[in-house]
Amino acid sequence: MLTDFNLTSEFKNNALIMKTSGYINNTAGEKITEEFMKHKDEGVKKVIMDLQDSKVVNSIGISYLIEIIEKLNENKGKLYFTGLDPTIEKTFNIMGLFTFAEKADSIEDALSK
Amino acid sequence: MDPSQTNIVEKLALQVDSFQEGFEILSESKSINEMAKHFATLLRGNFLVTDVNLFYKKDSDATWKMMYGKKEKNTECLITNNGNRMQIEYDLNEDVKVCANLPLIDNSVFGITVGAKLDKSDFTEFDKITLQIFLQLLDNAYQSFLNRQKEKELIFELNQRVLQLNNLIDTGIDLSKFENRKLLFELALQRAAVLTDTSHALILITKDEETTDEILFPPGMESSMITGSENKISASFTYQGKEYIFTLANKESRTGAAEYTDLDKLLLEAIARQVNAAIENEFLHQEALVKERIEQEIDVAASIQQKVIPRELPKIPGYDVAGINIPSREVGGDYYDCIDLGDDRFALVIADVAGKGIAASLLVNTLNASLYAYLDNKTPLPEMADKLNKIIYNASPSDKFITYFITILDAKTGELDIVNAGHNPILLLRENGTMQKIEAGGVGLGMFDFGVPYEGENLTIKTDERLFLYTDGIPEAMDESEEEYSDERMEEFFLQNKTKTANEFVDKIVKDVKSFTGNAEQSDDITVLYLIRKN
Repeated sequence: MLTDFNLTSEFKNNALIMKTSGYINNTAGEKITEEFMKHKDEGVKKVIMDLQDSKVVNSIGISYLIEIIEKLNENKGKLYFTGLDPTIEKTFNIMGLFTFAEKADSIEDALSK
Repeated sequence: MDPSQTNIVEKLALQVDSFQEGFEILSESKSINEMAKHFATLLRGNFLVTDVNLFYKKDSDATWKMMYGKKEKNTECLITNNGNRMQIEYDLNEDVKVCANLPLIDNSVFGITVGAKLDKSDFTEFDKITLQIFLQLLDNAYQSFLNRQKEKELIFELNQRVLQLNNLIDTGIDLSKFENRKLLFELALQRAAVLTDTSHALILITKDEETTDEILFPPGMESSMITGSENKISASFTYQGKEYIFTLANKESRTGAAEYTDLDKLLLEAIARQVNAAIENEFLHQEALVKERIEQEIDVAASIQQKVIPRELPKIPGYDVAGINIPSREVGGDYYDCIDLGDDRFALVIADVAGKGIAASLLVNTLNASLYAYLDNKTPLPEMADKLNKIIYNASPSDKFITYFITILDAKTGELDIVNAGHNPILLLRENGTMQKIEAGGVGLGMFDFGVPYEGENLTIKTDERLFLYTDGIPEAMDESEEEYSDERMEEFFLQNKTKTANEFVDKIVKDVKSFTGNAEQSDDITVLYLIRKN
């Protein structure tokens, strides 16, 4: 399925930082989850998702993010969102993502938490 | 009850707390894998076994998937299809001492194999009953797990509905803010895709069945991928000869492609309607801006126009002169003036530009400026009319011309040097009560440029005689039934009011016209210039 989505990741201070660009939909959700699962078994407890370059997310994409949040919570870990577009932030609020995940002003801010 | 049975019941009674605790642990499992792991721990602790393997399959046709344990091949003892009945077998071989099938409420099945106890003893009756209870606990915990999953899905769906409603409202507000059409379409596509969990979206704009533009989401893909998809929905609207076709293709789900629902179709139609309204509002807004600008220009033109109309007429010794100009709602093209040329000579001018608006106003100004220049040079009136005709002809579009009357009065002698270029007949009321109509001259200024010379006329106004200059705003003034005031009524009024002063006459004829038209809107400028020779 053709998509404009792109994902990069890096490890910094024991945190998995994933940066996305483009539409977060089913295909994107699968890629994000796949990347997270690679590191989950290694015991990653802090995941930072920088959505600076993603302005659109649908509910399928959100369901993958919720799954990651739940898996992190099982391991007493936490997901932090940065670079949130106001529309996405409102969407996450309505869908209840901030009940168990947090938003941060920047990657550095998330790393310091 | 025999003693052994009593013993079992007593032992089971002691285990109640343990069962309850086991159920709680199983129920809190976040996943089936975790549940399998917890169940294996329960069995290992209770029966003192190390070899516990748990398998799971989604339905009877699926293949077993190992959830916990090491012996993947132990599925051989598990039954492929045993309906809805729990089945447990004991002592199958050296490695497998227990083999259990647990059909679950959603047609999935747990398969459990247990190896030998650490002390190599057989499973007792009490163990077998305990195992049955544990399997029942697993069944209940699985139902509880499913309920929690369903509850989560329900909350997700409810949140999604709230989000859709919110998104739709926000989209309507956001779309109304965009003046950039491309950004508006892009936002509409994004929102439609999000609202319906769609992979790809397209707006195709066509005119006369030819594509004039296409907007895609995500950008950079081929529109044929959307139009050629079998999984798609569309909505469209037509505005100002263009058709805007919205298409969404490839609805998503976690398990692959999904079918579009009636709600998706409604949401897409709602977005298309919002875009339609935004485009229409933008057009109306632009139209209002243009109208506002034109009205401002008209106001400017009207104020310029009013500046060429004299505020006060010069005093003419031995004469009584008065004039008025009442413009209609739009900028008019009427003009009059009484200009002191010195040496007791005065020019009385009245003109009417065909049409109204800014073009008419500009022509009046051209006439006014040119007139003053030629009057300064004492150009003979027929020659002046020729020159003005050329100027107006070159300065105006083909449908614009000016009817124009000018007379130069020698106040001492009462001599009138006259040219009437296509204007209404000017009325001269003689002292003996006869009315003379002054028509001679030529065609209106700017109508033709054939070089046909204008002809002048010379008359003399004597004591108590009156010259009535007017524009067609008087005889053609209409009442609500579109009946005209008429030349006859005007001439009769002129005759009946020959004792009035110039000012009184002007006031009275205006009132008479207004009285005639009643509530009808003034459709044309009203202009009057009135001269009485007193001695």
